[in-house]
Amino acid sequence: MIRPRNRSRWAAAGVLSLVAVAACTPGGDEGGGEGELVWALGGSEAKPGGVHQQVAQLWSEQNPDTPIRIEVLPDEADQQREQQALELQAEGSNFDVLGVDVIWTGEYSTNGWLESLEDVRGEIEEASIPGAFESSTWGGELWAAPYNSNAGFLYYRTDLVDEPPTTWDELCEMAIEIGEQENIGGFIGQGSRYEGFVVNWLEYYWSDGGELFNEDQSEVLFDVDTATAATEWLAEAKESGCLAPGFNTAAEEEARNEFQSGNVVFMRNWPYAYGLIQEDQQSPVRENFDIAPLPTFTGEGTISALGGFNNAVSAFSDNKEAAKDFVVWAATNEEVQSMLAEDAVPPTMQAVYDQFADDPVMSLLGEVLAEAKPRPPSPQWNAISVEMQREFFPAYNGEGDPAEASQAVQEFLQSTVE
Amino acid sequence: MATTSTDTKRRPGSGEGAPGRPRKKEMSETTLGKVFVAPAILLMALVALFPVVYAFVISLQAYTGRQREGFAGIDNYVEALTDERFWTSLEFTLIFTVTSVAAEFLIGLGFALLMNQAFRGRGVTRASILVPWVIPTVIAAQMWFFMFNVTPGFINNVFGLGDFSWLGQSGWASFAIIFADVWKTAPFVALLLLAGLQTIPEDVYEGARVDGAKMFQRFWYITLPLLKPAILVALLFRTVEALRVYDLPQVMTGGAFGTESLSILVQQYVVRTPDPGLGSALSTITFVIILGVGLIFVNFLGKELVIGGEGENR
Amino acid sequence: MSQPATRTQAKKRGGSQGVVEQRSAAQIWGKSTLLLVILFWCLFPFFWLIMTSLKKGDRALNSPDLFQGPFGIQNYEAVFQQDFLLNLRNSLAIAGMTTILCVLVGSFAAYALARLPLKRKILLLSAVLAVSLFPPVALVPPLYELWRTLGLLNTWEGLYIPYTSFTLPLTIFILTTFFAAIPKDLEEAARVDGASPFKAFYRVIFPLAAPGVFAAAIIIFVSAWNEFLLASTFAPRNPEIAQTVPVAIAAFTGAVEFQRPVGTITAACVVVTVPMIIVALLFQKRIVAGLTAGSVKG
Repeated sequence: MIRPRNRSRWAAAGVLSLVAVAACTPGGDEGGGEGELVWALGGSEAKPGGVHQQVAQLWSEQNPDTPIRIEVLPDEADQQREQQALELQAEGSNFDVLGVDVIWTGEYSTNGWLESLEDVRGEIEEASIPGAFESSTWGGELWAAPYNSNAGFLYYRTDLVDEPPTTWDELCEMAIEIGEQENIGGFIGQGSRYEGFVVNWLEYYWSDGGELFNEDQSEVLFDVDTATAATEWLAEAKESGCLAPGFNTAAEEEARNEFQSGNVVFMRNWPYAYGLIQEDQQSPVRENFDIAPLPTFTGEGTISALGGFNNAVSAFSDNKEAAKDFVVWAATNEEVQSMLAEDAVPPTMQAVYDQFADDPVMSLLGEVLAEAKPRPPSPQWNAISVEMQREFFPAYNGEGDPAEASQAVQEFLQSTVE
Repeated sequence: MATTSTDTKRRPGSGEGAPGRPRKKEMSETTLGKVFVAPAILLMALVALFPVVYAFVISLQAYTGRQREGFAGIDNYVEALTDERFWTSLEFTLIFTVTSVAAEFLIGLGFALLMNQAFRGRGVTRASILVPWVIPTVIAAQMWFFMFNVTPGFINNVFGLGDFSWLGQSGWASFAIIFADVWKTAPFVALLLLAGLQTIPEDVYEGARVDGAKMFQRFWYITLPLLKPAILVALLFRTVEALRVYDLPQVMTGGAFGTESLSILVQQYVVRTPDPGLGSALSTITFVIILGVGLIFVNFLGKELVIGGEGENR
Repeated sequence: MSQPATRTQAKKRGGSQGVVEQRSAAQIWGKSTLLLVILFWCLFPFFWLIMTSLKKGDRALNSPDLFQGPFGIQNYEAVFQQDFLLNLRNSLAIAGMTTILCVLVGSFAAYALARLPLKRKILLLSAVLAVSLFPPVALVPPLYELWRTLGLLNTWEGLYIPYTSFTLPLTIFILTTFFAAIPKDLEEAARVDGASPFKAFYRVIFPLAAPGVFAAAIIIFVSAWNEFLLASTFAPRNPEIAQTVPVAIAAFTGAVEFQRPVGTITAACVVVTVPMIIVALLFQKRIVAGLTAGSVKG
């Protein structure tokens, strides 16, 4: 269109016409061969070299007729869910096995996206940790097979703390005292406004005897006073300097960085941080930290919110039988579950933890997971979580009243069961 | 949009009577005009029309989760408009838009005036000015999170502010988001205005210089008026973009401390806690608000452009 | 044809030299300081990106000190182990196609709006604007269904077609403004010589509006290049097919769950920013130089 007058314009035109000529999508192999299963899950371990890939390979070797291939979804849970949801909403058969976060079970099954696993309930229940099993059920029915679990630890500095605290109040006393002495922050966890904050908050609330729902999740057992007390404790911890300065903008990685750099005394985090801190040659706390169960308000026992994901069979799969065989196998096969443990990915099979009694992380996990509680996998969990974030986050940051916040959450929970 | 396109098609020969141009065949020019506009209209209608109409239809339905329950009439709109969260996010969105667009305009204009001049090292300067804008927004947002956040605290470190929590308190959280947006998009304004400056005929300045006009007077009485169409386009598109801001507040604060934008609210009801009816209603309301603001600009701009086109066929 | 050329030439000369005449020492100092401030403002975060991308392991976020090592190029190696060149290819093709289509289709429409006798131009402009205003996130579910039916998921077309549609409004507005600003007598002169409106458009208007056209082109290219929402929904995976750069960067993971690979992300960001700066500079030269770059160097 423009008459070319110099070389750079020629070059630009050349590049553009090249692009124009090449503007059809290069071919890629879509879909698998006959009988091939597709396992849609996200995260680093699903990538080439990750432990889930090894699990898939093991299955494919043993079942050459129905090999399985991983479709790697994004790292972030919200995006994994959205990509699965778009496919399932369109009733697409591209995914056979779904990696379903422990909080999505209710939503997926209510939408009719999952195949019931009731007929294999017995063997799965027998093999799995109770909390993980509970997170796979909704409405009294089994919709997924537990696969990968998780729970929170208290990380503490062995050079500054002799005995880890057993109550949250004790933790704050120590955090303030030692923090002032050493001129570092006290306690850090997941305090930013996102799902992780709800997990942390629930750990305070549950450890004071609070509950959300009754067993079959038909009735609200939310206790406004306990919730208010937990939120007030957190608000006070923030005021008194028990919480490290970056607490209310910290997610997992911000917390780990603070602890790993020696800037805090205590940290609430998942087991993944343990290995990373130990590997970091320059970390001042590399040899000066340990892990303990999370404190409670009563000083008795420990309680942690349960994380991880379960495997479910898509209701739109063309190969449901094989897919079902796979999820049962992944949940109950000791070799598979041990592979996870060896890669520091927490398994869900009770028996495996006994084998790893010498491993500090796995042995503590085994202990903590026995007491871990899943967040209720209600179809409305995301809405409940958003509501809790909107109410409790400002309340602990001095921009809302803890009692009013608890009242509002109570009403919201009530509205979800009606 | 479809209405408009059929509209123009139904009126053959409607362009006659443009004064002062007796040589031309009006019929063919009008037809040519339609032929020229048609591909663009078609392409836009093809992609945009269906989803917008679809969203509007959905907004009139009642949903529980993703399951449709029946016709809801305007219930979703009532629910959206009576929700306090809608109004607080609207408030933040408006404050964000006004402050960030104003700052971007001033800084962008400054950049453009600078880029328009000849000086040593201007190549480097021009390249530098464009750097912020070519960084993908998602990454820029993460980067500013790391810069502002207490941990590790790059900005606090550079300015010796200790543990000042930019993102962890009301007010400053909004400031940080606006700051990041201004940093990111001032170059966009600069580029458009630079192009505008380039098309101002230089003889206008020559005349003024002979008259002894000072630099500021030249700028105020000559540059600015001639730059007006480019300014309006830049402001228009910055404004409608800013009204739909999503990435920056989502990544930097997750909407905490009063930084929840309208788009974050829409995203919540479309994706996170799916309620297609309410989500679509919120989208439609957002759309109407933005369109309203946009039309004000278009009106001004239309006058400018019609003057450019010598007043024919308003 | 000779007329426009002389005109811009005159314009160019005045544009740069008029200001030079009047400089005093104080102005030069003031200007240099201002320049330094601007460079710091624009480049400090980018400098942060570069330094962070060169840090090894967890140092990237542990220390606010930019110069604390150890440094290495591991992050860059990691980036190129992940098919990143394929992502670059996809992004280049998609953004390139978007730019070509937008400028082509958009300039015809803009010419008609600026010059030809169309009825209800304001209404037309409003309708054009409206296209780009719906919250994108709400457009995704219906478009996904449509794309699925049409088989456009995981294709280049599936991305550059919607990008073109959503960027056309901006293109049309920019180009209309610039076309309308061109003195009408030039076109009239060409028409007297017997040129058709079509010829007058691409011989006279289009070249004269070059600054606007190239400004539009850069803007289109960059916005298509950086788009995330549609790209991550319509082509979320498979670099060998259509996954674009921002989606690939967002898909980077650490060695274990939760770990955020800041080093790799920043390295990838530096890698994609460099070609973008080159593209932007190439186009931008056209904006500033206008038609006469060949004859007047300045």
